[in-house]
Amino acid sequence: MNLFKIIAELEKVDPEVTDRLNSRRSALAALGDISKKITLASAPAIIGAAFNKTLAQSSGSPLNDVLNYALLLERLEAAFYTQALQATSAPALVASFTANTGLRTSIEKIRDHENAHVALLTAALGPNVAAAPSGFDFSAAFGTINNFLTTAQAFEDLGVRAYKGQAGNISRTAQVAANTSVTVTNAGQSSTVNIGGSNVLQVALQIHATEARHAAYIRYIRRQTAFGGVSQYGWITNAQSNGAPTAVYAASTTASLATDFPAESNLAQGGVADLTTGLTASPAYTAAEVSEAFDEPLDSTTVRGIAGPYIRP
Amino acid sequence: MATQPPVSAPDEAGFSSQLLQSVNRRSFLRYSGMTAAAVGLVLAGCDDDDNGSSMPNSVNLGTGNVGILNYAYALEQLEAAFYAQVVSNSAFATTFTDAAERTALQAIARHEAIHRDFFKAAINRDAPGNIIADLTPNFSNINFTSRTNVLETARIFEDLGVAAYNGAGRLIDTTTAAGKTYLGLAGKIVSVEARHAAQIRDIISLGTFSNDVVNALGLDRALTPTEVLATAQPFIRETINGSNLPS
Repeated sequence: MNLFKIIAELEKVDPEVTDRLNSRRSALAALGDISKKITLASAPAIIGAAFNKTLAQSSGSPLNDVLNYALLLERLEAAFYTQALQATSAPALVASFTANTGLRTSIEKIRDHENAHVALLTAALGPNVAAAPSGFDFSAAFGTINNFLTTAQAFEDLGVRAYKGQAGNISRTAQVAANTSVTVTNAGQSSTVNIGGSNVLQVALQIHATEARHAAYIRYIRRQTAFGGVSQYGWITNAQSNGAPTAVYAASTTASLATDFPAESNLAQGGVADLTTGLTASPAYTAAEVSEAFDEPLDSTTVRGIAGPYIRP
Repeated sequence: MATQPPVSAPDEAGFSSQLLQSVNRRSFLRYSGMTAAAVGLVLAGCDDDDNGSSMPNSVNLGTGNVGILNYAYALEQLEAAFYAQVVSNSAFATTFTDAAERTALQAIARHEAIHRDFFKAAINRDAPGNIIADLTPNFSNINFTSRTNVLETARIFEDLGVAAYNGAGRLIDTTTAAGKTYLGLAGKIVSVEARHAAQIRDIISLGTFSNDVVNALGLDRALTPTEVLATAQPFIRETINGSNLPS
């Protein structure tokens, strides 16, 4: 019996099969054990049972949970920018945008990206998509342009942390179902794209990077005197919140998760306890520099806790 | 294989080939790649009588997760060397008259140096003997006293770094604890590169943080190592061989 061939065949119909078995080697070990104990005739049924058992442990729903979690945050962001650009929901902001068309164009661009993310994730989830919340409440953020930008920074920096926190929960072989099409609108132009077969982890990373670009823009525009004159750049220094909720930059609210999901001021990376002393440089790297050089992930419980007040269930 | 969503056509290739022209072999700068910013600068002239020493060596990134780490290390070496030269240039303050722009570039220089030194330490610890050599950058066609030229080059490097990490994530074998850590680290670094990219772009022209790199689906670029190395190669003296990397 050629075990490699069997697994190769299984991989053709289910690319994730070896991931589900942890590794090809463990699959071979498991099958090898079985093959010693059974007759050739009964082998296929027993092997089939072994695979079914493994597959049943991973129904695919963990990935859907991750994607629905991402979708909730994207819906939040999309609604936030959509409402901010409408006179009915945010008259003070619309007046500011009228006085600063460059800012409005950028916010519209970000809104288009967030809407595209919603459309993309919705399409990728297909029948497994979760229902949208009944609504959102951004009234506290829409009073002044500076309040709006501060909240935008919180959402973008939080979004970056949220995606980063899920990277390890997405199989690197997971793909979007074949012939999945998405229709999106950018700067008023509608287009339809087939995302079937796209690697889900890669798409998540691509969204993650876009959110980081948004965050950097919002942070930098707040540096302008007209928008608060906040002393910051596109990156996060220590755990400075600069007006945003401090929880956005803090460690996980679950104590047992705080090592894996530390505050943005974290100095420990990849097993090195403190990069300011663990790396040799002249002058030595400062805590501010090390914290800026690495963004930190955040767990879903903490993220949901921060986003919760803006969401009507 | 998977049909990827379309990404915007990069303009890097044209820029790079332009830079490739008229390479000045008489003076190029060599960086040690080990120490911070202004320190590791050694001028290494090479003349036509210098048999063999000016021939570029080949650097093989290797296989598996170590190969991916070396790939990231190579790109971080390139970025760190570039910014080190930007901020140590004697005309830095007159090239960048805005103090906030100087502060931003100095900060990015430190971030990239930290990334480089961190990868070096991680590879030496986790895969002793498998680390690639210090690379010799070739910046002979970059005008370090031109604000525009420096910022455009920075934009290319940052956008390229983002696309490289985005494309490499799925190439990391996460069946081991170390592999999971590497994917996590890639995630921690790639968003900082994206922040750099947006910052540089907004310094060039406010509001261009995502122009021509984020597509209609709101996706930043993801490039394969082959695509990334083709853009990076003109800036590196050694020939980078990524043919054994996972794909």
